[in-house]
Amino acid sequence: MAQKMGFYEQENLVVNIEHPSASINATTKLADHEADVISLFLVTAITARDQGVNLVNIGQTSQQSALLFITKKEHNIKTISDLNGKKIGIWKSGFDEIPKALIDNNNCSVEWVPILSTVNLFLIGGIDAMTVMWYNEYDVIVNSGFDPNELNPVFISDYGYNVPEDGLYCLNETLQTKKETLKRFVKASMKGWDYAALHREETLDTVMALMKRKHIPSNRSHQAWMLDRIIELQVPDEKSTIKGELVEKDYKLTQQILLNGNYIKTKIPFSDFHTPLLLK
Amino acid sequence: MILNLKKSLSTRIVVNILLFCILLFVICLGTFYLFSKRTIEKKTTDYAIEISKNTVLEAEKILSNTEVISKNYIWLLEKMNMQPDSISNLTRTIVANNPTIQGCAIAFEPNFFPQKGYYFSPYSCHIGDSIVTHQIGNPEYEYFYMDWFQIPKFIRSSYWTEPYYDEGGSNNIIATFSTPFYTTSEAGKVFAGILTLDLSLEWFTEMISSVKILQSGFASVISQHGTIVSHPDSELIMHQTIFTYAKEIKSPDLRTIGRDMLAGNSNFVSAQLRDRQMHLFYTPLPTSKWSLIVAFPEKEMYASLKSTTFILIALTLFGLGLLIFLVQKIVRRQIAPLRVIAASAKEVAKGNFSTRLPEIKTEDEMRHLRDSFCYMQKQLTVYIEDLKNTTSAKEKIESELRIAREIQMGMIPKIFPPFPDTPQIDLYAMLQPAKEVGGDLYDFFLIDNDHMCFAIGDVSGKGVPASLFMAVTRTLLRSTAPKQLSTANIVNTLNRSLAAGNESSMFVTFFLGIINLKTGILTYTNAGHNPPIIIHSDAEPEFFETTDQIPIGLFDSYIYRQSKREIHAMDKLLLYTDGITEAENAEKALYSDHRLMQCIAKNKQHHPRGIIEAITEDVKLHVGHNEQSDDLTMLSLIYQV
Repeated sequence: MAQKMGFYEQENLVVNIEHPSASINATTKLADHEADVISLFLVTAITARDQGVNLVNIGQTSQQSALLFITKKEHNIKTISDLNGKKIGIWKSGFDEIPKALIDNNNCSVEWVPILSTVNLFLIGGIDAMTVMWYNEYDVIVNSGFDPNELNPVFISDYGYNVPEDGLYCLNETLQTKKETLKRFVKASMKGWDYAALHREETLDTVMALMKRKHIPSNRSHQAWMLDRIIELQVPDEKSTIKGELVEKDYKLTQQILLNGNYIKTKIPFSDFHTPLLLK
Repeated sequence: MILNLKKSLSTRIVVNILLFCILLFVICLGTFYLFSKRTIEKKTTDYAIEISKNTVLEAEKILSNTEVISKNYIWLLEKMNMQPDSISNLTRTIVANNPTIQGCAIAFEPNFFPQKGYYFSPYSCHIGDSIVTHQIGNPEYEYFYMDWFQIPKFIRSSYWTEPYYDEGGSNNIIATFSTPFYTTSEAGKVFAGILTLDLSLEWFTEMISSVKILQSGFASVISQHGTIVSHPDSELIMHQTIFTYAKEIKSPDLRTIGRDMLAGNSNFVSAQLRDRQMHLFYTPLPTSKWSLIVAFPEKEMYASLKSTTFILIALTLFGLGLLIFLVQKIVRRQIAPLRVIAASAKEVAKGNFSTRLPEIKTEDEMRHLRDSFCYMQKQLTVYIEDLKNTTSAKEKIESELRIAREIQMGMIPKIFPPFPDTPQIDLYAMLQPAKEVGGDLYDFFLIDNDHMCFAIGDVSGKGVPASLFMAVTRTLLRSTAPKQLSTANIVNTLNRSLAAGNESSMFVTFFLGIINLKTGILTYTNAGHNPPIIIHSDAEPEFFETTDQIPIGLFDSYIYRQSKREIHAMDKLLLYTDGITEAENAEKALYSDHRLMQCIAKNKQHHPRGIIEAITEDVKLHVGHNEQSDDLTMLSLIYQV
């Protein structure tokens, strides 16, 4: 919406939004200087930094975790410990660190079934549970005929793993050279989100038109669900937190989970990782 | 207008016929509408069910054929000594030998053939007129995690994938039938890979699109997870599930229907979709676990019925209009003679009995009415003639009666005060006959300077006979009294004279009194008459003591007695006939002795004339508008020393 409404233009910015492909992910694009700013999950970003990509967080759109294990009520799985011995679908493409850490910390032994993108294996009963996003796959399951009262969602945030997700990242060198430009970019981007929250139908029209142009199958009711949930996830826990800023304790929690699970080796200070660009 | 409707017989007949016809029409049309509606509903439903079942049958043929092909090659795969090259050839053979199969892959588990590396999945498919074979596994397409591989592997049975667009390939919607195959080793049956058969759904969507029910009724197919595979609105295909569509159009009913469809059930239901009430029939495609739904709007189902009903109503209204016109015309023609007869009746009423009546040739009620009227006309002529004669005779009699009354009234004294030279006595009397001539009488006269005779009587019966009897009585009294001072003698003389030759047994109640003007002694004889009232100047009025003597004229041998009583100065006497005390009002209540006495008591200070006038007024007040039934006669006198 920031692009469509000319908020970038108002900040004298020429922004080109590109989508990562299966072969070239966003981190690679950033590392290769093909993109100035990318959107990444916090977990992915910390892991990438640990692996040598010198990226920094310049804005945090998501403030809450949307991750959950979805199970069918008939399996009577209500807590994490009920997952012990179960087959759990998990994305093959990543974002698996937090669910795995949670399962490990609860001393559960589960069979992880890597899944590419659909929820069909779960729907057909091939697995007992599946990690899904509250704003996306959960609604896909409901839209496949399961009523919410037939499902048992187990939210990861309920177990102290409220790890925020989407954030904006750039290389440290870009931050040093184009700090003012990036400030304007983050400001315009957040303005775009604010506009989307206030102009729901217009935003949905824009998204639907874009998806149609790109031949991506979707429907308005699912996009509406996604927009509403994403807007909810952007609200910080504490009133003192500026919307769009990464909270230090959230960073430290995520970092610790990754260290504990041996996903990363070094502990990078919060100040090195995050540079607040939004004015207080 | 309503008044006119009520007045006109023809309009009333038309209105009644019209109301009956409308009622009949409503009943008939209602029955027709309900019956037709049910018939249409049943026929359309039957058609929808039949067309659905036929479509499902057609689809099942191809889908199950795919399963049979798969089963055969799985058997072959598991039996043969699998070698990579022969596997590649096999995919090509399958595609070549089975024209319904768009593509075929035999995908193996990682490193199944070590010499072929991590991925081994030969895939053959039609591209244009040729068959192309290539490997589909690589780091960017790790087929092990695709639904078509992973799901049948996990569920250890065949699986129809969700339909998908084959972009860049056939550009059609494809559904893949995947079946796991196994190798047998010492450890037992080991999963080896998946055989897939791609089925282009072009034929299927064409077949579904060709289903037409009524004008905009259509068929649609949803996959086992609710994805819309075929629908007249291409925007929905592969974009929406039946559940997202239900959410968009805000139809919880459709969500319920969708869940029932996925459960493999078949049903006929009605639901509100957007702003239209739709009838829906759904039935499963058992092989693929998909479900077919046919939908048609209720409005269209009954459209023909509505237009037929509309035409029927229009025709009926036209028919009713025509009926009103004709009935009005016929009725008016039929009752036209009534108007002439009515006009004639007016003329007859004016006395023109020779008014001509209309000629009626038909032998019906109208003719009877005309004949009856004609008869009445003749009878009236005769009757009026008779009436004229009777009236003339009556007028003559009435004239004679008037003369008789004048004579009768002339016979009784009417000059008051009667004796201006006799100060001891003042007297007033009144006779008001009920009919032209009455049977009451009164009289008074001086016998000599010291005696005054007065009398009052009431002849039985009324009219001329009574008046004649009264005249005779009065004449006899006048001829008898001057010679007598004994009231008994006078009355006895009168009785004998009247009783002689009294064939008709008439009689007179009679009171006769002679008052000595010097002494105030009253000698009197009461022959069956009402007791007179003495009005004392210093005490309450009272009735005379009554005697039980009979009226005169009945028996000539009857001997009447006389009585005496002293009348004090300023005492008054009142004599009256029963016409006063028995005067009736509308409620048949009599004026009565009691009320008479009350009236007298109230007016006792008056002179005789005042008392009589007061009583007359009081009686009039009592009677009201009721007709005077009897003669009213009173005589009052005052004795003044």
